[in-house]
Amino acid sequence: MIKRIFIRDTNSSSADKARDFCNVLRNQLREKQMDEKVQLIRAADMGVYNQGIVMRILPDDLLYGQVEEKDIPRIVSETICGGKRLNDLMCHHAARQCRIVLRNCGVVDPESIEDYIAQDGYQALAKVLEQNDPEKVLAELKTSGLRGRGGAGYPTWLKWNLARNVKESQKYVICNGDEGDPGAYMDRSVLEGDPYSVIEGLTIAGFVTGASKGYFYIRAEYPLAIERIQKAIDQAYACGLLGENILGSTFRFDAEVRLGAGAFVCGEETALIASIEGKRGYPRPRPPYPSTQGLWGKPTVINNVETLANISPIILKSGKWFAGIGTETSKGTKVFAVTGKVKNSGLVEVPMGTSIREIVFDIGGGAGSGKKVKAVQTGGPSGGVIPEDFFNTPVGYENLQKIGSIMGSGGMIVMDESDCMVDIAKFYLRFCVDESCGKCAPCRIGGTQLLNLLEKISDGKGEEAHLAALRRISFAMQKASLCGLGQTAPNPVLSTLNYFEDEYRTHVLEKRCPARKCGRLFRYSIIQEKCKRCGLCVRNCPSDAISGNREKGYVIDEAKCSRCGLCLETCKPNAILRG
Amino acid sequence: MDAAQLEKDVSEIAGDWKNKEGNLIMILHRIQSKYGYVPREVSLEISKHLDIPLARIYEVITFYNYFKLEPPGKCTISVCMGTACYLKGAPTLLNELERVLGITEGQTTKDGMFRVEVVRCLGCCGLAPVLTVDGKIYQGVKKNEIGEIISKYAAEENGGNGGHKEKP
Amino acid sequence: MNRLKKEDLNRIKAECRGKKKDWIKVGYSTCGVAAGAQEVFATLCREVKEHHLDIEVKKCGCAGMCYAEPLVEVNVEGMPRVFYGKVTPETADKIIEKHVRGKMLMDDHIYDLKVHEAGAEAGLS
Repeated sequence: MIKRIFIRDTNSSSADKARDFCNVLRNQLREKQMDEKVQLIRAADMGVYNQGIVMRILPDDLLYGQVEEKDIPRIVSETICGGKRLNDLMCHHAARQCRIVLRNCGVVDPESIEDYIAQDGYQALAKVLEQNDPEKVLAELKTSGLRGRGGAGYPTWLKWNLARNVKESQKYVICNGDEGDPGAYMDRSVLEGDPYSVIEGLTIAGFVTGASKGYFYIRAEYPLAIERIQKAIDQAYACGLLGENILGSTFRFDAEVRLGAGAFVCGEETALIASIEGKRGYPRPRPPYPSTQGLWGKPTVINNVETLANISPIILKSGKWFAGIGTETSKGTKVFAVTGKVKNSGLVEVPMGTSIREIVFDIGGGAGSGKKVKAVQTGGPSGGVIPEDFFNTPVGYENLQKIGSIMGSGGMIVMDESDCMVDIAKFYLRFCVDESCGKCAPCRIGGTQLLNLLEKISDGKGEEAHLAALRRISFAMQKASLCGLGQTAPNPVLSTLNYFEDEYRTHVLEKRCPARKCGRLFRYSIIQEKCKRCGLCVRNCPSDAISGNREKGYVIDEAKCSRCGLCLETCKPNAILRG
Repeated sequence: MDAAQLEKDVSEIAGDWKNKEGNLIMILHRIQSKYGYVPREVSLEISKHLDIPLARIYEVITFYNYFKLEPPGKCTISVCMGTACYLKGAPTLLNELERVLGITEGQTTKDGMFRVEVVRCLGCCGLAPVLTVDGKIYQGVKKNEIGEIISKYAAEENGGNGGHKEKP
Repeated sequence: MNRLKKEDLNRIKAECRGKKKDWIKVGYSTCGVAAGAQEVFATLCREVKEHHLDIEVKKCGCAGMCYAEPLVEVNVEGMPRVFYGKVTPETADKIIEKHVRGKMLMDDHIYDLKVHEAGAEAGLS
């Protein structure tokens, strides 16, 4: 059988070194007359990083790392000709992904119900309907330890059980696909890539809780997800997997899509309900919880997309199997959207308990820009930043909370040295201020005040007392806001302030932004010795801040400069200084 | 707009949603996808058709970012301001757009050609920074590509389509 | 399609699994489409038709490697299953020419490969 060897220089993005290495290897294979039996392939990515030259040999499936040219002779003679494994070269394979939620994403055609059925689709629903015992499903979910993947982490079985125990003829189940966290798109991916698994999960939720109607509440900004879910619903109706007598049983379940309209607060349960009712998405105080009084006053269960995608595998493979993955209190896997200053932006699904370091460096490939990774942010506008010192923390609901962030829905944004923490806090806070529905004062007024303070700090008008004020207002918002949005809005401020107080102090005391992000705290100037007097910067400056002429040279008027950086980019001799 | 035509359009738009519970937002979505925004006369007609006060309709429209009360430009450029795009330079792209077109976010150019908007997150964080022009997504956009993108659309509008299209 | 019963599920499953093995999948989610999956899909379909190849070209969801979109997964019998990343219509042409027709893997475009049929799931069950 022909051997195939994949080769890549995992330290650099250039293919030069790998190419040279391949040539040497090819020559040595030729000497042994093996070149016909081996194909060498330069890979573009191997899922392994910073391990020098890496070789993956098929069909033996060996992974060698830190391979040098001097190792080639023995690789050729022992592994390729002799079929022997060279243990000293074996590369430790980084954290493996484990796909439960994303099991079908990228595997099935999302517009084909047959494809889904071929991957054991609807077997879980068939099993549930055949056994006809909701309590058994609840018991299985309880064993599994599945908790809500939307962020709060409430045990799913408990949520279902609460609604199930209410005596009421009409109940509802809702799939929350209002993925409002900017920088996260796990739900979009699942809805687009595997819509049937979510529909199946929601149908099972309907059966267990006694609800005959389900809603998909999806952001209007996700047109493809809406289209795919709608098509899948139509097809499921046509196949008798929705509607009356599902799979020949007496169970009836209807499902319908409702669209969000661009309001972050609608991710909150009670606001989401108001929105489906066609009203402003105002949250209301709880209790009563939706499980007793929800949509149109009826008992309602709201589950996140990812939670629902976990249901079928648990029923098919057992709760015990699921509970075997993850940590003591956080079971199963979690999907993260790893984005920002990371080499490989994408979705990763890892067992709970995987460390942040493994996610960012082993799977994500590190910063990729050559700059140092400074922190990650999880949980979006409700979460916090986690500095690099805490990257060994295993992910889990409680663990992340302990270090001042939250699991959230799964956004993980990587930041490097060029990102300013005051700026980040400002970004999230502006988001929350924009999205605050204005119903309660702590969120409406507190948020604005926090933002004002942060703006002063980043404009160089900050005072030391402002730092204490930030903490005080944050505390008040956490304690007194009506819903989750206001209670968690100060988290990005508090966590940046706790971990990067130095950076805040540099802004306040030295009026300097170490990352050079805050426009008022750095300036552009022209290094006269380097300047070639070409005048390109003058022509490009949008705010006419550069004056002078070819004889006398040019200067930048700091008062007029908008800090756009165009001069820096256009200057050929690099005569513009930013500092 | 002709009153009889409007009545017909509205009853078509409302369609089978008319008698469903919580239908208002879904109907507004349909209106916006037909007209590009929610015109006042259509809201008035909806109010009659569904028998709900106009204030109720406006209360909802003004709460949600997605609904617009003004007609969009011929080309709507939406800059994604999700966290990933923000970190990877979306503010620079927005500045450049504003500079080139001479408008600020939320405005339409005088000739009605371009409108610049900021959107929350398009869910393409892996391709950051992204912007969309009339729904087409541009990924990994750099500041110096902005001029090129704009002139492409400007040329399309001025070229093939005989110059000017009437706005709704 | 008719209303399904449990037996039908098993029948469909068996039918689908019994189908021929060669296929090409193109990641067709928002991120893939944004990166140009439409053109790639069209190119692949055209080439397969032109050369009368016995291989199915399918759309699928996002495999998670957004940085490498458009992503094309190729499964040809007797060869490892591989993911080609950042595929352009030109690369798509070459995938058909070299990989599918020539049975050779291409340099510099492979982003991942699957050794076991069931992938990482196999380790779980």
